Amino acid sequence: MRGWIPILLLIAMARAAEAAPCDQLPNPVYLQVGDTQLNFMKRLGRALRDNAPRPVTLVFITSGSCPNIQAIYTRVPITGNMQYIPSIAESSAWTPSSPTLTCTAPTAGVVPDVANSALFNSACTTEAPPATVKLQQGAVQAYVMAVPVASSQVAITYEEAYFVFGFGAAGMIAPWIDEAQMFIRTVTKSTLLAWSANISVPADKWKGMRLDGSSMVVSALQTSTSAEKAIGILGVEVADNLRASLRILAYRAKGQRAAYYPDSTSTARDKKNLRDGHYTVWSPTIWMDTIDGSGNPVKPDARYVVDLIVGKTVTPAPSFSPLQSVAAVGLVPDCAMGVTRSFEGGPLSIYKPAQSCVCKYESLVQSTTCQSCSATQACASGTCRDGFCEVQ
Amino acid sequence: MKRMIFTLALMALGAGCGDDGAQQPVHDAQPVVDSAVDTPSTTPCFAGTPTTHEQIINACTNAEEIFKDTRPSLLNADGSLPPLPP
Repeated sequence: MRGWIPILLLIAMARAAEAAPCDQLPNPVYLQVGDTQLNFMKRLGRALRDNAPRPVTLVFITSGSCPNIQAIYTRVPITGNMQYIPSIAESSAWTPSSPTLTCTAPTAGVVPDVANSALFNSACTTEAPPATVKLQQGAVQAYVMAVPVASSQVAITYEEAYFVFGFGAAGMIAPWIDEAQMFIRTVTKSTLLAWSANISVPADKWKGMRLDGSSMVVSALQTSTSAEKAIGILGVEVADNLRASLRILAYRAKGQRAAYYPDSTSTARDKKNLRDGHYTVWSPTIWMDTIDGSGNPVKPDARYVVDLIVGKTVTPAPSFSPLQSVAAVGLVPDCAMGVTRSFEGGPLSIYKPAQSCVCKYESLVQSTTCQSCSATQACASGTCRDGFCEVQ
Repeated sequence: MKRMIFTLALMALGAGCGDDGAQQPVHDAQPVVDSAVDTPSTTPCFAGTPTTHEQIINACTNAEEIFKDTRPSLLNADGSLPPLPP
């Protein structure tokens, strides 16, 4: 009898490992997002599962921004396994550092309700969006160059990056002269396309090791046996979580007097330089859902999710702060930006959001010098919003 | 003179950075051969209220600044970038 116990245990474990059907999860919204958005999906997915006024399950796959755009433009169904986040009732011990759970897409596949591009769509395609797809601009993400913490390097310039990635070893920019230690992405990925637009090296001309996923770049940098020569490109949402093992390089853009980190210092998390234009390599995230002939969302739950992500007021109001989910993963909400641009790598101009959230954002990521306010404590100037006196 | 060359190069490429926001997207553009720029660390920060791209990225700030005055050996004599290899 004792000999059967391990076999029975194995059978039980195998059954537990079988993926549940995605369409049996509560109110599933199917998404196809960039892999730089994984940490955001985890936090938002958890919050939405437990959003009492309107619980939603984010069921998603990650892929490149360009395939994501095509998936919703041309209605390409997702098949196979997808990811989702458990509710508190399902797994109280789950945290954003835990892995996602797996479910199985419907047999015939499912066209994503929501697609995400982590850069301007125009960097992927000149094709106009079909009339059935609505685009909304969400939070901004910085793209960074990162090295292992064992490297002594702290900054890279526009000119150096041009030679490192445009010429490879022949560029003679020490210590980045080993193309096997230059970890880049494939040509449909936002990380490569965003950097491409900023350093004047077309995506298909980059030298280095082309890796399909952000996690592969991370792993290659972390396990490199030539730390000084190693360099990789990542979304800041990925790199910010890994500061113990990776160092984000400061970047000096073309025509700029100094190099800057996305944050005000190498250790800060305020994204000050991204918000005020000193760190120039960033893109907006674009969120797309499907609409009918009258312009109404085909799936109201999908629109609810997108509206939450882009910072709109939704009904019913969520039981959590979407702004907090955005800020926690290193993204910057549009309402906290002080600069804007109209195409990938394009020139920056001053931006004043209609309803600023700079004070609230700063309070979430670091600290703020803004005056606090309440129903009984008015602002000396500005508008009281979310407990702070915002400039407008 | 350097700035004049820079301006003329931009005008010739039709990619001017005016304030009217009328820039057009450039897809998969070949690298623009850069004009020489002033030595970055000797350029003072912009102390006024920035309005143009150049002023925004060079505005005075209390953020950490890193000055890296390397000169890549493959830069052209005038400081511009050579074309990418085929």
